Amino acid sequence: MARNLVGFLVLVLAISICEAASIFQPISESHRSAALELFTPTDGSFGSLEETYEALRTFGILGIQKKPHIGTGSCQSVSETLGSSSSTTKDLFFALKVNSILECKIDEAIFQEITSRLKAVVNDGNSLLDFYYSISSLALIKDQNSKVDVLLGDADGIFRSIKALSQSDGRWRYSSSNPESSTYAAGLALEALAGVMSLASSEIDHSLIDTLKNDIVKLFDSIEKYDDGSFYFDEKLVDAREHHGPLSTTSAVIRGLTAFASLTSGTITLSGNKILGLAKFFLGIGIPGNSKDFFNQIDSLACLESNRISVPLILSLPATVLSLTKKDQLKVKVNTVLGSSAPPLTVKLMQAFISGSKDSSVIESQELGFDPENAVHILDVLPKSVDVGNYIFVFEIVLHDSVDKKIYTTGGQTQVPLFVTGVVKIDNAEIAVLDSDLGSIETQKKIDLAGETSVSLSANHLQKLRLSFQLTTPRGKFFKPHQVFLKLRHETEVEHIFVVGNSGKQFEIILDFLGLVEKFFYLSGRYDIQLTVGDAVMENSILRAVGHVELDLPEAPEKAPRPPARPVDPYSRYGPKAEITHIFRAPEKRPPKELSLAFLGLTLLPFVGFFIGLLRIGVNLKNFPTLAVPATFAILFHLGIAAVILLYVLFWLKWDLFTTLKTLGFLGAFLMFVGHRTLSHLASTSAKLKST
Amino acid sequence: MPKLALFLILIHFLPFLCTSFSPENPSSRRVLVLLDDLALKSSHSVYFKSLQSRGFELDFKLADDPKIGLQRYGQYLYDGLILFCPTTERFGGSIDLAAILDFVDSGHDLIIAADNNASDLIREIATECGVDFDEDPAAMVIDHTSYAVSETEGDHTLIASDDFIKSNVLLGSEKIEAPVLFQGIGHSLSPANSLVLKVLSASPSAYSANPKSKLSSPPSLTGSAISLVSILQARNNARILISGSLVMFSNRFFRSGVQKAGTPTKHEKSGNEQFLTELSKWVFHERGHLKAVNIQHHKDGEADEPSMYRINDDLVYSVEIYEWSGRSWEPYVADDVQVQFYMMSPYVLKNLSTDKKGRYFTAFKVPDVYGVFQFKVEYQRLGYTSLSLSKQIPVRPYRHNEYERFIPAAYPYYGAAFSMMAGFFIFTAVHLYNK
Repeated sequence: MARNLVGFLVLVLAISICEAASIFQPISESHRSAALELFTPTDGSFGSLEETYEALRTFGILGIQKKPHIGTGSCQSVSETLGSSSSTTKDLFFALKVNSILECKIDEAIFQEITSRLKAVVNDGNSLLDFYYSISSLALIKDQNSKVDVLLGDADGIFRSIKALSQSDGRWRYSSSNPESSTYAAGLALEALAGVMSLASSEIDHSLIDTLKNDIVKLFDSIEKYDDGSFYFDEKLVDAREHHGPLSTTSAVIRGLTAFASLTSGTITLSGNKILGLAKFFLGIGIPGNSKDFFNQIDSLACLESNRISVPLILSLPATVLSLTKKDQLKVKVNTVLGSSAPPLTVKLMQAFISGSKDSSVIESQELGFDPENAVHILDVLPKSVDVGNYIFVFEIVLHDSVDKKIYTTGGQTQVPLFVTGVVKIDNAEIAVLDSDLGSIETQKKIDLAGETSVSLSANHLQKLRLSFQLTTPRGKFFKPHQVFLKLRHETEVEHIFVVGNSGKQFEIILDFLGLVEKFFYLSGRYDIQLTVGDAVMENSILRAVGHVELDLPEAPEKAPRPPARPVDPYSRYGPKAEITHIFRAPEKRPPKELSLAFLGLTLLPFVGFFIGLLRIGVNLKNFPTLAVPATFAILFHLGIAAVILLYVLFWLKWDLFTTLKTLGFLGAFLMFVGHRTLSHLASTSAKLKST
Repeated sequence: MPKLALFLILIHFLPFLCTSFSPENPSSRRVLVLLDDLALKSSHSVYFKSLQSRGFELDFKLADDPKIGLQRYGQYLYDGLILFCPTTERFGGSIDLAAILDFVDSGHDLIIAADNNASDLIREIATECGVDFDEDPAAMVIDHTSYAVSETEGDHTLIASDDFIKSNVLLGSEKIEAPVLFQGIGHSLSPANSLVLKVLSASPSAYSANPKSKLSSPPSLTGSAISLVSILQARNNARILISGSLVMFSNRFFRSGVQKAGTPTKHEKSGNEQFLTELSKWVFHERGHLKAVNIQHHKDGEADEPSMYRINDDLVYSVEIYEWSGRSWEPYVADDVQVQFYMMSPYVLKNLSTDKKGRYFTAFKVPDVYGVFQFKVEYQRLGYTSLSLSKQIPVRPYRHNEYERFIPAAYPYYGAAFSMMAGFFIFTAVHLYNK
């Protein structure tokens, strides 16, 4: 849990910039608009009566007129809850609370019946929650209906039985059988006891009240503290049945304490600082995001606003950034926690010192003037001794009326961090290229850092670059800003940053390129020069491109470090790629069809010539066999040759090799046979001729 | 006893309750929120409420709660994790650095918010995501020229930045008018990591240093190299958001007005709510999550997918791409989806045309190179989940009978051969029977 608190502390600290002190703003308009946002009824009601009460109470405290309209529906559920015999004391309690705001019409008989039921619970109750809900309900009935007799006969006895649950350290147990003590329960117990006191028919024993006061003081000993001066209560045990965070615990204690304090005559000795610290705790939260926390915050602040112990006054500054050049006035507001006006008082500026050096005070004890129209305390002109810088101003509130001093608590001195800003003058800005060995100036140029400048220089690795300028505050003093950077950026986006140092009254940097060659990765070329001068209190912080220098550096040796990889531009990395179309192989070049046909004709010419030649020689077929059998064979032989040739034509036209070869096989065998018969017949014929 | 029985029954349903995150339904549903302090729940409630109103179940736990765990019985209990616990040195329960990395490695989403004084643990998680926070624990991002003008905050650590990444899928189609308020630590991105992106960068005059001490050496982070908010989309499409500021998620910053120094316009409301809500939509996969279905290819004029193509075939390729809108799959409309016909290197790379109803198609001729090709769609766009589709298909050359049969240029050869044959036929008759 302690770790969680550290976390919470970090959050609170992060929310309010702080060094030694923080400023707490009282409840303002932003809370009102947030309240309307958080408490929005659905279908005209807020769900449970508890939520309805929280919403109505918050609107009431903040004085919000434009409430969402929820009257009739809520009144109905109030009277239903009160009329029903099965509702628990907790239900009755919240119904009565809602009724106390809405003032619905409830029969007196119902009140009578509830009262008798509640009294029975009170008389034989043994757990703290029973006591709390029933007594608080009775107290509410007392306010709402004067005719019902709600007074408790044995007030002392009930007081004692509640008191019996208390522990020695000021905390309480929920019931006698539960040994764990809780701070939240202490808050409830105090409220219940305050109820008992208001309902008592006779005066409560004074010794009882005195021991209770001691208990309260003991309870406040266990209060916890943040560094910024705010106090809060926290539950020690984490594993309780119903865990309450610091916010609801603190708020329960405050409710109990203020209820009790409003009924006791004597004083309760609590330091005003703690009450103020509690107020600061609630204000430091800002605007909580859930309705329960919001209600707890506003309700507790309302309790603190009107409590009888001491009413905290909050000192706040509308602006903690003051401009010397605009002659801003130092304004201080003092309000109660809910933002209403404070009694007549004077705000004293006790001291002001530069943050970090407490001894050198620039202002000593000055009273602020009061502007009754805007209800602000004003220091008209900042004294001459206040220059730009971070200051801590120490204020004290002095109440005019001595009676008020008893009612209000101001928390002594309040420390507020202030930023005094101004326009810083930039003078004598110069940029020069120096020769290394002689120190003589080769080129020197004046630059105007307030306006646009663009110098172009060139240098080699044996030379130096010098940049110098002066800064003076509005009060004419030498000014040292937080950020004085000289940046050299190469074309390849490699950057080098140098902090410009100050020597006496002037800022000066000398870049000896010979020593920087390695750092520059031996990259020659154009370097853009950029100067950044900035500070939190400097109103004219600048980021200026001064110009560029053309550097001529030696070639990189082999082992020189390489410049770092450039970050890839996300936009180019994800873009679509260029389209690729396949380049098809070009088809082979062919002669035109006419040319092929012409050559076809040419190739047919020898055949024609051969045919004509045969006719011219006068061929005949007289040797053809005349006998029937050889003639048949001869015809078959020549038909066979014709068939083979036809086969080749068919092969060309459509057949494939396999069909062709198969057919050729058959034809071949046939041809061999008939060819042999034909040729042998022809041979025998010619042999006969020769022999004859 | 009945309680035990009920518990046992519920335990059996646990895996079913927790498998809501699936490729068909990619939005994270159950989100574990780890806090340093439960007060954050109310101080940052607007952000949480915007998540809850979009249907996320947020489970708030203290970071050092001894009972927390990301998985049980090998099943992840959550789909997303929000770490709003910058100061936590050690998580409670079974969560540690390795458990968070495993969580991301299994495709779950993560939001990390750091702050100044961020613990080593949070820094280590960020480093694993390719983000290096400034090592100086007291350093904050300071900007003396583009700070948010404020009456009460004068140290210029409250920055108004409007240097957003230009991407509709990350930041929504509506332009963010008001600058975003930032107060916290800066980080740099590792140049070697190509998955991590700067979403909100600092201005050129920004630097990261301790505002309370004098600077003697140049700060390690300067200028627009400083990233204020970064995102990462892992290769498994797990998404991570890393911010250097926790307070930028708070109600106070969401509601606060903003005026950037040097500009006259004062915005009623900072851009934080819009910026962070839109980014959370992206992180939890309500935007930019694509799926591709129904990948088809066939020859022009046919309907069925062939087992292989022949060179020089005309083919038609189509794919349907849908984007998850948080509730349903909507057609994805873009003009830069490309298909590659790929064998060792792309032979064809073509933009796909779309019918604006999710279907992307194109037609092209198969190259005259045979081999085993792939149809590849490598769709990687800023902010979108990457689509990587590939489908293998062989391409064969012409068969012997698929070539051209009668070439006119060869007619003289045919003519010569056939006239020769005719001559031979005549010659045989003449030679045998001439007298």
